[in-house]
Amino acid sequence: MTGKDKFRFVRQNMKKSKMRIFMTVLASAMACTFLIVLASVGFGLHQTVLRDVMEEDAINEISIYGTEDEDGQYRNINKEDVEYFRSLDDVRAVSTLIYLNQQPEYIVDTHHIHANTRVSEFFGEEQAGIQLEAGELPSAANEIIVGYHFLQNLSPIETDEDVEVYDENGNILDELRYTEDIIGQTVSFTIEKYMGDDEFESKVFEAVITGITEQPAREWVEDTTVYITEEMLASIESYTETTKGNIYPEEDEYEQYYTGYDDVYLYSHSLPHVEALTTQLQDEGYYVYSVASQLKEINILFNIAKAGLIFIGTIAVLIASIGIYNTMTMAVTERAPDIGIMKAIGASPKTIKQIFLLESTYIGLLGALFGTIVAYIISYSVNFIIPLILEGVYGEPLPDGLKFSAIPWTLVVIAVTICLIVTIISGSRPAKKATKIDVLKAMRREI
Amino acid sequence: MITVENLSHHFELGKRGNQTRIPVLHDISFEIKQGEIVTIIGRSGSGKSTLLNLISGFIRPIAGDIFITDTNVTKFNETQFADFRLDNIGFIFQNFQLIPSMTAFQNVELPLILKGLSEKERKKITDETLKRVGLEAYHTHYPSELSGGQQQRVSIARALVLNPPIILADEPTGSLDSETEADLLNFIQQLNQEMGITFLIITHDKEVANIGNRSIEIQDGRLVQGGSAS
Ligand SMILES: Nc1ncnc2c1ncn2[C@@H]1O[C@H](COP(=O)(O)OP(=O)(O)O)[C@@H](O)[C@H]1O
Ligand SMILES: [Mg+2]
Repeated sequence: MTGKDKFRFVRQNMKKSKMRIFMTVLASAMACTFLIVLASVGFGLHQTVLRDVMEEDAINEISIYGTEDEDGQYRNINKEDVEYFRSLDDVRAVSTLIYLNQQPEYIVDTHHIHANTRVSEFFGEEQAGIQLEAGELPSAANEIIVGYHFLQNLSPIETDEDVEVYDENGNILDELRYTEDIIGQTVSFTIEKYMGDDEFESKVFEAVITGITEQPAREWVEDTTVYITEEMLASIESYTETTKGNIYPEEDEYEQYYTGYDDVYLYSHSLPHVEALTTQLQDEGYYVYSVASQLKEINILFNIAKAGLIFIGTIAVLIASIGIYNTMTMAVTERAPDIGIMKAIGASPKTIKQIFLLESTYIGLLGALFGTIVAYIISYSVNFIIPLILEGVYGEPLPDGLKFSAIPWTLVVIAVTICLIVTIISGSRPAKKATKIDVLKAMRREI
Repeated sequence: MITVENLSHHFELGKRGNQTRIPVLHDISFEIKQGEIVTIIGRSGSGKSTLLNLISGFIRPIAGDIFITDTNVTKFNETQFADFRLDNIGFIFQNFQLIPSMTAFQNVELPLILKGLSEKERKKITDETLKRVGLEAYHTHYPSELSGGQQQRVSIARALVLNPPIILADEPTGSLDSETEADLLNFIQQLNQEMGITFLIITHDKEVANIGNRSIEIQDGRLVQGGSAS
């Protein structure tokens, strides 16, 4: 008997007890819907949380903020460490930052700003694939790039006492802003140095702006940082005679804290690499932070939650399977005479079994199909309606992309698989019973 | 074609530990040649049906062997026997045993479906076979819409449709009036002559027994006459 004929046979048989089949499909559809909708909450919230985390930091990035020296003492990352990182296969790029230990005043023409200053080996940034808002990375010692908000925070140097410079939000008024193209402009900045006895001395340095960094991922972050070259740091250091341009001379015993890099970021190829790299570097004694390690914990937590929800949903499917068992048992009993005749003329037990298994599987599949469709409808409605309700309660709009319920295809596959396995199991006993039907008894209508 | 050797059978009745044994067949041996029409006669309760059910594989013998087309069918498992029946044996039952929810056409088509033939082939063969039994006008009739004689012809068509070398019939005329009975007997003879089908027919009716080349008589489960082919 071909599969097609079996299926047609099943369809014919099912038509004979439409109402019963309908109720059974309805029960399995409801169970399937329940399973999917329940688990979809886990999936939805997981997605929301992940999105939140991903937005915060680059996903392929590992931040290294120190290590231990031979005596188990904390120290900053140094040049050898960075060279070692660059030698690792999984590392695509390494970018480093050194914080200048003073906040110089930067003057562009008529405007000025006090800005944090960072030292970068720009080639590392380039490898990491830094995106600039405008311009390009420095190629000479006296070239710099500035943060995205540098320009709009430049304030006029000379104003009348009573003129208001800032608006109510603390932003510089439009008409007082610096309006020239900032790229290519020469900036001068003043580095201070302590001479002892409350005496300070200062020197003016000059640099040319070649680029502006990209807008920070987080809307509320204001980036006015100035990024200078290592060569420029060297000339600042030779003036201040301290590391990182400290105004005051340092004390030697704290050397491990003030030498070395302040920020080191490794960039890898993809998430699995980041995870492997994170573990490796942790084992080697580096203090490491990556979104990946945080993600791992989030994922474990949510996967447990999802498994729990799926488990509860499966109970509903199991309950529905009682219906399928019942329906199939009745079908076998009702059709016993027909089965007897079929066996007599040469239907093998295997064929009989397959026909009944096909019928229960078909019921399960129909249930899973309708269940999935309804689950999607419910999921969309939930995502649409719950924000409306919450906004009504809290009186303010919820953040974008907040998802309460999500049904990824994996969930559909899991749910359909569970439904099918359960229906096949619940249909297998009646199917087995069908194969055991005694031909003679069945033909005598004794069953 | 069919060889039965030292076949014995009994039924066990009652619960385990408190069983009564009902002996039905004792040491039956006979042989049927290809192309014969052999009838099995005997009183009601003598064990005729049991003998036929053993040959059909619906029940399994306690002792003895059955060879059909030189194959020892007592060694078959259920699936093997089912396949063997489909290929080799057509059945005509006393009360027709048609599937009530299927039309005449579908009932006759059933063995072809089990055999896995394509729809086109099935249609052709079923049409031919229904025509052969004179029911070309009754394709879409359900068994309940047919007379007893017509139902029996549907069941004959079903038995014939896969061209089996053997047809087994248990009291095929039992539910028919004498006129239809005569028609049926003629048809059986015709099939035997035209197609060389071997028939084994159970009856308790001496007249029916006359159509056969020979009769095997059973009394109280023992073969009393006609064991070997003439
Ligand atoms: N399934 C069964 N269980 C117990 N006894 C049976 C069974 N089938 C038949 N018998 C007994 O076996 C004997 C022969 O029956 P059967 O072969 O039907 O006879 P016949 O067909 O010649 O009338 C009878 O006594 C009957 O009661
Ligand atoms: Mg009988």
